[in-house]
Amino acid sequence: MTTISPDEKLVLGIESTAHTFGVGIASSSGKILANVNYVYRPKEGGIHPREAAQHHSRIAAKALREALEQAGVKPMDLDGVAFSIGPGMGPCLRVGATVARAIALRLGKPLIGVNHSVAHIEIGRLATGCRDPVVLYVAGGNTMITSYIDGRYRILGETLDIAAGNCLDVFGIKAGIGPMPAPEEYARRGERFHPLPYRVKGMDVSFSGLLTAALKLLGEVRLEDLCLSITETVYSMLTETLERALAYAEKEEILLVGGLARSRRLREMIEEMAKLHDARVYTVPPEYAGDNGAMIAWTGVLQLIAGQTLRIEESKVRPRFRLDEAEARWRMLGL
Amino acid sequence: MENARSIGGRVMIGERLEVIRVGAEAVVSRLEWNGFKMVSKHRVPKPYRFPELDRLVRDRRTLHEARVIMNLRRLGIPCPAILLMDRSEATLYLQLIEGVELKKALDSLPVEEVERLANMLGRIVGRMHRGGIAHGDLTTSNIMLDRMENLYLIDFGLSTITNDPEELAVDIHLLDRSLESVHHRLRAVFMRSFLKGYAAAAGMDFLQALIEKVKEIRSRGRYVEERRKRY
Repeated sequence: MTTISPDEKLVLGIESTAHTFGVGIASSSGKILANVNYVYRPKEGGIHPREAAQHHSRIAAKALREALEQAGVKPMDLDGVAFSIGPGMGPCLRVGATVARAIALRLGKPLIGVNHSVAHIEIGRLATGCRDPVVLYVAGGNTMITSYIDGRYRILGETLDIAAGNCLDVFGIKAGIGPMPAPEEYARRGERFHPLPYRVKGMDVSFSGLLTAALKLLGEVRLEDLCLSITETVYSMLTETLERALAYAEKEEILLVGGLARSRRLREMIEEMAKLHDARVYTVPPEYAGDNGAMIAWTGVLQLIAGQTLRIEESKVRPRFRLDEAEARWRMLGL
Repeated sequence: MENARSIGGRVMIGERLEVIRVGAEAVVSRLEWNGFKMVSKHRVPKPYRFPELDRLVRDRRTLHEARVIMNLRRLGIPCPAILLMDRSEATLYLQLIEGVELKKALDSLPVEEVERLANMLGRIVGRMHRGGIAHGDLTTSNIMLDRMENLYLIDFGLSTITNDPEELAVDIHLLDRSLESVHHRLRAVFMRSFLKGYAAAAGMDFLQALIEKVKEIRSRGRYVEERRKRY
C-alpha cells in the first residue's frame, strides 16, 4: 500500500465518454494509485451508445470498489470527484456524470468536470515528464495538433473530415485484414508505392479522399503495397503538419497521445522530423494511451488545485466540448 | 546550364546572395545570375517521407504553385513572374520584387497612404477571387510593397483554384486577423478601404455574400474568445 502524506490531495476520476468505463485515483504528488478500466465490446459492428451506457451502469459499482481497494483508500479520504464531462457520446457521458454527482454529494466533496481531450494530454505530460509540448492526439475518433498557448490548449491543426485512426481501421476492415495494427504489419512487406491523395492544408489534414482512393485500388494491386502506400501517406501528412505546428508554436517538445501513438512507423517518422528541429519526442505509455480513469483523476487533481470545480447545477454533460473551450488554469500556475 | 553550380548537394543556377525566408516547406533565396537578380523557391526534401512520396509531393506543389502564378499573371494580378521551373529540384525561379513586406511598412505610413494601399489591395484580391483563385495564406507578410508603392502578392504555396465562397472568404478572414494581431490601430481604416476596393473590382453582391461567409467562419473559429466577442 502506498503511504500518502496528510497534506496530499486525492481525487477519484471517472471516464465514460465511449466504450470505456474507467475509475482512477490520483494524488497531488503525481502518483496514480488506481486505474481500473472496463471496455464494452459489442458482439458485432460498431459501438451503440445506449448499449455501451447500459454496460457502464452495470459495471460502475464494481469498478469503483476495485479502484478504492487498489488504492487502499476510503471514500472519506478523497478530496474531490472528477468525471469526463465531454466530448463523447451523450448516454455514456451521463452514466459517469450521475455516478460522480452521487459520490460528490454523499461525501460533500467538490465535483470536477474534466475535458476528455485535455485529460489525454495531461496524463501524457505526467507519465513522460515533458513540460510544454506540441501534442499530436491521434486515436480512432480524434486527430488534432494542439499546444498550450495563453491559458488553453489551442487547436493548431485538425482533420477536416475523418480521423487518421478511423481511416486506417476502416481500410483494414474492408480489406479483410482487420483494423490497426494489421495495415501497418502488412505494410512492412510492401515494396511498391502507389500514389494516393495527399491533402494537407496548412496545419489541417483530410483523409476521406485518400480512403476512397485506397479502397478503389483493393484487389487491383498487391495488398501489402497498398498498405504501405496508405500508412506512409497518412503518417507523412501527420508528420508534416506536426512539423509546421512545432515551428509555429516555437516549442521544443513533441508529445504523442491516443491509440495511434502505439504505431511504430509513425513514431519513427516523427522522431526523424524532430531531429531536424532539435526537438524531443515523448510517447504516452501504452497503459495510458487508450481511454482510462487515471487520466481523469489526474486532471481532476490539477483542476482542484487551480480551483476549477463545478456546482451540481453546472455539471450537465457536454458531448461537443471542444479542447480549446476548456481553460487550463493549472498551466498558469506552472503545473 | 550556364553558370550552374552545386550548392549543398543540389544544382542551382546563379550565385546565392542570401536566404530570404525559411518556411515550413520551402527556402526562398535571393540570387544573381549573370547580373540578373531573382529569387529561388526550393521545396526541401523531407527525410522522414517515403522517397517516392516525397518527390511526388514536392513536384506536385511546385507545379501547382506555377500553375496558380500563370493564372494570376493572365488575370493581371501583380505577383512575381516565373522565370524558370526546375522540376527535378522542386524549385521555382521567380522575379525579385525589390521592396518590403507590407507588415513591416504599414505602421510607419500616413493614414491616407494606408487607405490608398488598402483600396488597391482590395481591387487586387477582388479580381483574383473573381478569377477563381484563393490565396490561402493572405496575411500582411505575404504582400510586398515595392519602391514605386505598388503592391504584389507572394507565396502561393497554400493557394487553391476554386470558386467556393468558403475558401475565398478565408482570405478575407486571414487578412483581417493578421491586421488585428499586428496592426491593431489600423485595422478598421484598412479594412474599410480594402472592402471598398474589393467591391469596386468584384461587385457589391459578390462581396456581400462573402462577408456573410466570413462571419460564419469567425463564429466557428477555433479561438473561443473570437466566438465570445460576438455574443
